[in-house]
Amino acid sequence: MPMPKSSRIKIAAFVVPLWWGVSAAAAPIDFVREVRPIFEKHCMECHGEKKQKSGLRLDVKAAALKGGDNEGPNILPGKAKESSLIHRITSSDDDQVMPPKGERLSAAQVSTLTAWINEGAAWPDGVDAVKLKDRRDHWSFKPLAVASGGAAIDTFIAAKLKENGLAMSPPADRANWLRRVTFDLTGLPPTPEQVQAFGKDARSDAYERAVDELLKSPRYGERWAQHWLDVVRYADTDGFEVNTERPNAWPYRDYVIAAFNADTPYDRFIKEQISGDAMGADAATGFLVTASVLLPGQIGQDEPSKRLARQDSLDEMVNNVGQSFLALSIGCARCHDHKFDPITAKDYYAMQAFVAGVEYQERELRTPESIAARERAKQVKSQLTALDKQLASFVPLVKSGVPRPMVAARGNVDRFAKVKAKRVRFTIRETNNLEPCLDELEVFNTAGDNVALKAAVTVSGETVSAGTHEQRFVNDGNYGNSRSWMSNEKGKGWVMIEFPQEHGIDRVVWGRDRLGTFKDRLATSYVIEAADASGTWKVVADSDDRQRFEAGDRPQPALATQGLSKDEAAAATPLLNRKRQLDEELNRLNVPQKVFAGVFRTPDEIRLLNRGDPEQPKEEVMPAVISALGDLKLDKPSPEQKRRTALADWIASPQNPLTARVMVNRIWQGHFGAGLVQTPSDFGNNGAKPSHPGLLDWLAGEFIRTGWSVKHMHRLIVLSQTYRQSSSWNTQAAAKDADVRFLWCFPSRRLEAESIRDSILAVSGALNPKMYGPGYDLFDQRGGLSGFTPIEVSTTENQRRMIYAHKVRRETEAVFGAFDCPDAGQSTAARRASTTPIQALNLFNSRFTLDQSNAFAARVKKEAGDDIAKQIRRAWQLALTREPTATEMSDTMPAVAKHGLAVLCRALFNSNEFLFLP
Amino acid sequence: MNLHAEHLSIAGRALLDRRQFLSNSATALGSIALTHMLGLDGLLAAENHGPIIDPARPYAPRLPHFAPQAKNVVVIFCAGAVSQLETWDYKPELIKWDDKPLPGGPAVTFQGPAGNLARPQYEFRPRGQTGKWVSDMIPHLAELTDDIAFVHSLTSKSNTHGPAENFLSTGFVLDGFPSLGSWVTYALGSGSQELPSYVAIPDPRGVPQNGANNWGPGFLPAAFQGTTMSSKNLVRHLAAAGVPADADEAARSLLQRMNARHLAANPGDSKLSARIASYELAARMQLSVPGINDLSTEPAHILKMYGADDTQNPDKAAFAKNCILARRLIEKGVRFVQLFNGAYASGGKLNWDGHNALKEQYDVHASILDQPAAALIRDLKQRGLLKDTLVVWCTEFGRMPFFQKGSKGRDHNPDGFTCWLTGAGVKPGVSHGVTDDLGQKAIEDLHPLYHFNATILHLLGLDFEKLSFEHNGIQRRLTNVEGKLIPQLLASPP
Repeated sequence: MPMPKSSRIKIAAFVVPLWWGVSAAAAPIDFVREVRPIFEKHCMECHGEKKQKSGLRLDVKAAALKGGDNEGPNILPGKAKESSLIHRITSSDDDQVMPPKGERLSAAQVSTLTAWINEGAAWPDGVDAVKLKDRRDHWSFKPLAVASGGAAIDTFIAAKLKENGLAMSPPADRANWLRRVTFDLTGLPPTPEQVQAFGKDARSDAYERAVDELLKSPRYGERWAQHWLDVVRYADTDGFEVNTERPNAWPYRDYVIAAFNADTPYDRFIKEQISGDAMGADAATGFLVTASVLLPGQIGQDEPSKRLARQDSLDEMVNNVGQSFLALSIGCARCHDHKFDPITAKDYYAMQAFVAGVEYQERELRTPESIAARERAKQVKSQLTALDKQLASFVPLVKSGVPRPMVAARGNVDRFAKVKAKRVRFTIRETNNLEPCLDELEVFNTAGDNVALKAAVTVSGETVSAGTHEQRFVNDGNYGNSRSWMSNEKGKGWVMIEFPQEHGIDRVVWGRDRLGTFKDRLATSYVIEAADASGTWKVVADSDDRQRFEAGDRPQPALATQGLSKDEAAAATPLLNRKRQLDEELNRLNVPQKVFAGVFRTPDEIRLLNRGDPEQPKEEVMPAVISALGDLKLDKPSPEQKRRTALADWIASPQNPLTARVMVNRIWQGHFGAGLVQTPSDFGNNGAKPSHPGLLDWLAGEFIRTGWSVKHMHRLIVLSQTYRQSSSWNTQAAAKDADVRFLWCFPSRRLEAESIRDSILAVSGALNPKMYGPGYDLFDQRGGLSGFTPIEVSTTENQRRMIYAHKVRRETEAVFGAFDCPDAGQSTAARRASTTPIQALNLFNSRFTLDQSNAFAARVKKEAGDDIAKQIRRAWQLALTREPTATEMSDTMPAVAKHGLAVLCRALFNSNEFLFLP
Repeated sequence: MNLHAEHLSIAGRALLDRRQFLSNSATALGSIALTHMLGLDGLLAAENHGPIIDPARPYAPRLPHFAPQAKNVVVIFCAGAVSQLETWDYKPELIKWDDKPLPGGPAVTFQGPAGNLARPQYEFRPRGQTGKWVSDMIPHLAELTDDIAFVHSLTSKSNTHGPAENFLSTGFVLDGFPSLGSWVTYALGSGSQELPSYVAIPDPRGVPQNGANNWGPGFLPAAFQGTTMSSKNLVRHLAAAGVPADADEAARSLLQRMNARHLAANPGDSKLSARIASYELAARMQLSVPGINDLSTEPAHILKMYGADDTQNPDKAAFAKNCILARRLIEKGVRFVQLFNGAYASGGKLNWDGHNALKEQYDVHASILDQPAAALIRDLKQRGLLKDTLVVWCTEFGRMPFFQKGSKGRDHNPDGFTCWLTGAGVKPGVSHGVTDDLGQKAIEDLHPLYHFNATILHLLGLDFEKLSFEHNGIQRRLTNVEGKLIPQLLASPP
């Protein structure tokens, strides 16, 4: 194609020096007439209003000059040669060239663009067809709208129905309402007796009373905590390949249950989960570390692997905070600025900086009880020390004729008649294996003082392991393997202590590992000698009158009065009894409850990472909230805990436009199956708009006004006319609103997995109401690489509510997992409700169902007697909280008569009426 | 749309009317699609609506985005990271440099200090028409190279098995994302209504390193989860153990009548009819599944071809039976079969993680993989099934050209490794992409695994940029925000 004349001039302008080009060009390139048509024809399909591949759009000035995600500004005014836009359109590399498909830009077009850039890329204001949306201009980022007086849920719902030519359905009958609200608030069906009592309750506030009862029940927290645990993807294993057990995650699960039951104000609930360690809610920070994590042994030895793993684990924390409390996908900005929301990559890393001192580890749980226990342990220990001193004189004397207990790794006493000693030698003749090891050798004078402490020591030889096994540790006053002496000879060796002056001694105390970990390298045959100032050696004790050593992990024999004189025994007995009590108490006190709730340390330095790559760090970033939403910013030296409390305070503020809206929407979703905003963890620009914006804001305002009471929200909702409507389908209404978004009836839905399992157990009578504590086993192992064979046998423990199951990440429960149980990999803000044949197989054929059908049948027989009709009636009452109709009765009788009641029980557990909210 | 209504009860049939389904789709699965069409007003909403899924028949076949080259997939997934240097990526330079240090090489890799370079542990020779050099470790698979399209220049985002198997199977290194098979069955449903649409067959020695993440549905509906099944273990809960047949039937029939009455009292609710239909599908599955594993109908020469009769090598025989099971599932129209070779972390004893005694362990693993896997591909071909079936051979990353210090094994290497495709839509006899002379890093035509997965979706008629699902505010895809095709692997590139 011959080149048009004007273009040829522009090429000239490009090759000659810039100063010449600019001044000499007769007519500068006109953006609208010459440049934009090229963009429109060749670029905007992928870099325009609809798509912005690699984050680049060329239809709006501000966006075009900012450039894409990967190359920064693609247009550098005045510098065509350096502008990647020109590189791309002229590249000879198939992978690089733009446009990637279709016609390439002609030489003329290339030179037009080149010249335009060299002339300064003039792009007049006001010529763009579209305007960039201000991403901050979004409903959920604005303050709550204040509703006019007299507003209530039903007002908003009725108005929207009217607008759409719809109306509310008539109310459900009382029994159905009670069944619905009981499932909703507690995850269990009402008992027949509750239904009956409610049916008869003629008081004007009968509904209110019923709701209050349900909210008071501890079953309420067990139901509503599950939703929160879904959102934060709680599990009792670490995830990824190795999926090791996280044995002390459950205190956080219990915290959530208790918090719902106590109606902990939601703002406090937020603060406790981010910085509960500063608020006396120690387990609550389990929230920060609920995600899957690679533990040190699973991360590569190379530094890049370590950096990436740390970044991934910080990312999970930021995501959890962003999604759960703010319904924002902050994590999208890890590699580049957010595509839809006003969240920059810098904002993302600034959020990381708030939690940059949190490690995925467990620590001792500090509760008022645990603090008191620690104090008590101190007292007990000092009492024990005093007792031990008293008891020391009651250890059987050597060579008393009574065999002394065999040697123990944890410690041994050799008591003998007083001798004068300047030196004491402990000679080992045999060990149970390897070179002998002594953690401490103590020699007591008659006043009960350890005179060996820090006295001069000589040894036969030693195996040195610096800081662990050294000669000087044998009399340094510290117990345990890591402060011990080890001989350099197998089976033998000696230690000699020399005192500055002669002492009258009567006791030697020694051990291998008095902290109780190590049992090897134990001296099983030994002799103790003492030399007075004159240097005459004398044997004072040896192992020959001890019981023969036997390997095996036998408990150390308790101190006894054997080998003591009558008087000694009489004096020792009360001391021994007291010691036994104190030992037991100390054992109890000494097992501190741990919690996987993060360990807090000096925060990492956080840098902005180019493309999210830890190997491409850029400038350092300080803790700050998303700049479009707030101006909280901390200085670098902010201590770790202060960072988290600052973040928590910002989120849990009534001024935060997202916090209250997000939570009331979650609560609404829990009652109606779908939220007013149908994307419960995305309130950003790409999320759904609220179906009833006024209602959402009114609820959020009410939430804040009433002190963030979640239970108050439940009351408002379940006592509304909207909630009380019948669930009957109405074809005419459905034609206008098939999704029931406007709530022209109560939208029925299938129970969730936990509710199904719990309800089956409740109905069969097997439900174990035990609350809290470590989870019961669903599988033959609690974590690990492989296997996970389901446990099918019913036990008292596994007939607890399903929230108390030990949740193995990625392995869903064998029967109920198929009912859309989250696998705790990513956050589940709303469960799907699939219908699959696998669900049917599981619920119809599993051992669980069959066992519980039998249990249900046995219960019914016990309660209803032998009459089949009575049995059927009772089964109906228990499972479906209603009486069977005559048709149902006559249809069911023959099968029960022929095959037994369990057949009916199995069918009831599988029936739609049982599995759906009425 | 054919709903196969003849298989359903009167109650079920009455409610499976397409028009009615659409008007009544307050159901979860229906509304998933509808949320995309109606609820989202973001930028992507207009073009990213998911497939319309009939809640009563989530496995019903659905149309892809464009004409597919392949209808079904068999993935042979070798867990533990197979060394490219002992198999498909021949590096004669390494023989020269055997036992010499790599100048400028990394001091420390995943598991610790690096040792000297090490030659390929097997002899290589040219094979077939293309003369492709393949090692003697896998003589049977080596014979198939004329039909295979290799890509030697794959890269992974992680050098750790867990995240890397996540990355291969789900496109993300983190836990909790949908697996390839879940995406495919979500999009396409299945050709069989009597069998699970997506079957994962673990190695007879145990589940792979990343376990259920490799076949998990992530945040897709549970309907699209891979069902595990093997020649040893059938689907769970297929029958009610210990319940006499007549009592079983009585319970089923009672349930049917209860549900029918309940439906009559709540007309129009498609959630209820969907659940009724699911019990009917379950009943059919109960009949079909046991038959699929009945190898007594396989002739002796087929058993021999796969090595299922190898009494000397029971692990091989068991894997061979899994391979036969895979073929039978494909024959029945199952959409996606994932066949695992290699189990969990075990110091390389039970999978391809050859850190310590690579040659010794690979001798064992190859003896299990080679003949059965090659026989599966041949068998699919001789039955004409390879025309519609894509076979994928993959592993999560490769291994280093040097041994680890003090060992005779190679460490993890995510920077250049080999996977391959054969079967429907695949260009035969291709070797694409190049690693350096020592096989350490891809240097030409680099392809992060995103590209490999995008290419697989493409062969199934799926646009990897369109196949998406909204989760917590993000339109998620198998290939995240990345991905492009590897046209060199396609018989008819777009």
